[in-house]
Amino acid sequence: MSDLPNPLRHGLRIGRTPEPCTVVIFGASGDLTSRKLVPALYNLAHERRLPGGFSVVGFARRPWDDAQFRQVLLDGVNANSRSGAVEAELWASFAEGIHYQPGNFDDPSAYARLVERLAELDLRRGTGGNRVFYLATPPEAYPDIIRQLGAHGLHQSPHGGWTRIIIEKPFGRDLASAQALNQQVLAVFAEPQVYRIDHYLGKETVQNIMVFRFANGIFEPLWDRRSVDHVQITVAENLGVEDRGGYYDHSGALRDMIQNHLMQLLALVAMEPPVSYDADAVRDEKVKVLRAVRRIRPEEVATYTVRGQYDAGSLSGRPLAGYRDERGVDPASQTETYVGLKLFVENWRWAGVPFYLRSGKALPRRVSEIAIQFKTVPTMLFAETPMHDIEPNVLAIKLQPDEGITLKFGSKVPGQPQIRPVTMDFRYGTSFGVASPEAYERLLLDCMLGDSTLFTRRDEVEASWSLITPIHQGWLASPAQSFPNYEAGSWGPNSADEFMARDGRTWRRL
Amino acid sequence: MTSMTMVEIGAIERELRQLWSESAEKSPDGQAVIRALTLNLIACTHDAEHADRMTDAIQQLTASHPSRAILALLQPDAPEPRLDGFVQANCLLSRRGTPQVCGEQITLDARGSAVQQVASLILALLVPDLPVVLWLSHPDPFDAPLLARLRSVVDRVMVNSQAFAQPTKELVRMAELERTVSSGGLALHTFAISDLTWASLTAWRELTAQFFDTRPLLPHLRRIDHVTITYQAPNGANNPVAGLLLAGWLASCLAWVPLEDAVSIEAAQIRFHLRRPAVGVGTGAIRLVTIDLCPVEAGIGAMPGLLALHLEALDGITASFRVERAETPGYALTTATIAGMEPISRLARCEEPSLADLLAAELRLRHRDQTFSDALRVAGLLAARLGRDI
Ligand SMILES: NC(=O)c1ccc[n+]([C@@H]2O[C@H](COP(=O)([O-])OP(=O)(O)OC[C@H]3O[C@@H](n4cnc5c(N)ncnc54)[C@H](OP(=O)(O)O)[C@@H]3O)[C@@H](O)[C@H]2O)c1
Repeated sequence: MSDLPNPLRHGLRIGRTPEPCTVVIFGASGDLTSRKLVPALYNLAHERRLPGGFSVVGFARRPWDDAQFRQVLLDGVNANSRSGAVEAELWASFAEGIHYQPGNFDDPSAYARLVERLAELDLRRGTGGNRVFYLATPPEAYPDIIRQLGAHGLHQSPHGGWTRIIIEKPFGRDLASAQALNQQVLAVFAEPQVYRIDHYLGKETVQNIMVFRFANGIFEPLWDRRSVDHVQITVAENLGVEDRGGYYDHSGALRDMIQNHLMQLLALVAMEPPVSYDADAVRDEKVKVLRAVRRIRPEEVATYTVRGQYDAGSLSGRPLAGYRDERGVDPASQTETYVGLKLFVENWRWAGVPFYLRSGKALPRRVSEIAIQFKTVPTMLFAETPMHDIEPNVLAIKLQPDEGITLKFGSKVPGQPQIRPVTMDFRYGTSFGVASPEAYERLLLDCMLGDSTLFTRRDEVEASWSLITPIHQGWLASPAQSFPNYEAGSWGPNSADEFMARDGRTWRRL
Repeated sequence: MTSMTMVEIGAIERELRQLWSESAEKSPDGQAVIRALTLNLIACTHDAEHADRMTDAIQQLTASHPSRAILALLQPDAPEPRLDGFVQANCLLSRRGTPQVCGEQITLDARGSAVQQVASLILALLVPDLPVVLWLSHPDPFDAPLLARLRSVVDRVMVNSQAFAQPTKELVRMAELERTVSSGGLALHTFAISDLTWASLTAWRELTAQFFDTRPLLPHLRRIDHVTITYQAPNGANNPVAGLLLAGWLASCLAWVPLEDAVSIEAAQIRFHLRRPAVGVGTGAIRLVTIDLCPVEAGIGAMPGLLALHLEALDGITASFRVERAETPGYALTTATIAGMEPISRLARCEEPSLADLLAAELRLRHRDQTFSDALRVAGLLAARLGRDI
């Protein structure tokens, strides 16, 4: 399907284009479409990665026509595209393929019109029955849309083309709802058609974790319990909930960030080498890691977790209201905006090595990194000298904002009997001098090419929820007494530092 | 940031060290300066003006390929023998708070008989354990004495076939050389050949190949029996090299074999006949392909370059695939037309790449570019059929 024996493609220095297809976006008048999806598609066109005939059909409630829809998208691309202001000629050519289909998600006649529209596009633009359905809607709408697609025969393509469906996060709220959603989806589509998106996996630096580990021989022998003291994974955001308070208050950091993004990062650092770089081989290994993580039982949350909620404070020099004062948030909200976890991966490689995960909103900086802290050397050699103060080696994989890898090691200060930590710094930006594509570009293209390596499989989602749900239950059973417990613009609650101090460790200062 | 100092030739290394410690001290806000060297780039020319363009390109290249560049400006016909050297750092402007990345450049200005000293000097100045690229900006690069002197250490030789003094003749030589080096026939050490004109065809090849990523269109590719390549020939200067390379690429990918002596030239238009693998069976199976190279005097812009590539299957269901420069500079229009269906076209970016872009594209390759090697082999055959420069 994706391996066409196109003889002109042999050894070409550039990427493949997918077959002409139509991307149907449900929720096309929403924020995600004009801020991320269509800018990503336009950038792909800009990079010559989309074929002639490529088409988009937007589906949402408001009664727009094609022209209005195109104008909204044009404004969105102008404001959000990484390639800068839209090039008029290119946009004109791209926009010819953009259409809008008004309708309610539960209205069968709207789908009947969609069927006609798609058939007409197949003829006129040569899209050959190839379709991607993108669910960019509130999650409550997923079941309706999926059912209607099935009822109208849109789950499979005419003319021997392919049909795929991309489902946005959140994929469920807990294990039971994720399983239920999986059942609804798989009642209509087959698993290989389903692309559950976690945009973190589309980030170049996240993909590079695997390359870094499995393309370099020198680290792998150190990548286990014999050499590693512990691992810290941090995803910090320097924003409040902004205008998503209503959504966030029903979600919280554990479900909004840890369940998907941080668990994916954990799986990528901890996994065994896959047998091949193929979608299922990679995902098999990730699932194994998630299954090996020791489950935190509800009654254990006080030992293995810490949570926080931000109070008023100041972020990047600007005052920020407390979480409970944000629009859409319950003034007595128990929702956590900060989480710290201690997890153990119980397999031969990692037994006994703690993985500390933390993520929070309204923290001082936007930063994501994975830090592998190695065990310290037996310091006997330098014990009697002024050089006894040796810090452990740390390998930090930085995902944002400045993607790169740093390695900290000790070195003697010239002329003095002292050891000082120095870092070796490698940055993608300066080493390759090219801008990385946006995560959504990569993911949309992969889906059109039929490559699901960077998407989450059914068992992965469920394995992750089965770890997260008991923690959430434990928290519900013992409401936080001290919320709000950290000031916006600080590095989280004091209890998070105490949490680490109990193990004789500290969070990395970032 | 660029600084240039005149130095005694033997003191180049010392001068470089000095330059680096100065730039570390002088760097704005005490930011770190990273000296990053990913390759040795030896750039060689006879032409002072061209040397400036090469320096510009090397500086732009620092972003992706910081290097130790050695620019040799050789003027053997100058009366007085003289050899001067200069060093400079090529630094990228960096964002606040991020370290500055710098490469370095040594310029050797050699005149008269001193030109003969340059190769030994270059050998002494190479940074060990990094690839060595020799960029020859001569109209007759394969006769350059520097190539003979340095071939045992060079990993890649870069030329620009569009700028050859005798384009078809040199193209034949390049194809022969490529055959020798790729068969390892020269010696233990071999090098790869890069042609910047070939690099400039990437967008054209990409847009052409993309038609056939589409399953329903792929079968037509085997049926192509007519190719027309249109290119600009400003002021009557008919240089078919880019067209020959593109034709060579198509032919090598599709297993078309040039027929002996089957070339005709009519009013500057060149027509080749090739044999292709049979499509269909029996005596009616069509096995011939024609490739027309059509120079056009007045085109868009003043640059020589490709204007259009048109692939057609005329026998049976007609199918046509056309990539052409759009009226707006920097874009190409692609159109697929199959009899009985609506034509499908799109506009795509197809900018004229800068010299630095072309260099960067070639430097990204770690090994021989087999596609180029195959295309060049056929292009060489076609050029040999032409037999003379037109
Ligand atoms: N925004 C982001 O940055 C972001 C990031 C990650 C994930 N996500 C996920 O992506 C999804 C979409 O997010 P969003 O921010 O784009 O949402 P949004 O701005 O609220 O847009 C919702 C869209 O759904 C349409 N819609 C809702 N109910 C409908 C119905 N009954 N019938 C027809 N159309 C209906 C709306 O159409 P009308 O407005 O025309 O009624 C609108 O186009 C969500 O699942 C979200 O969690 C978003």
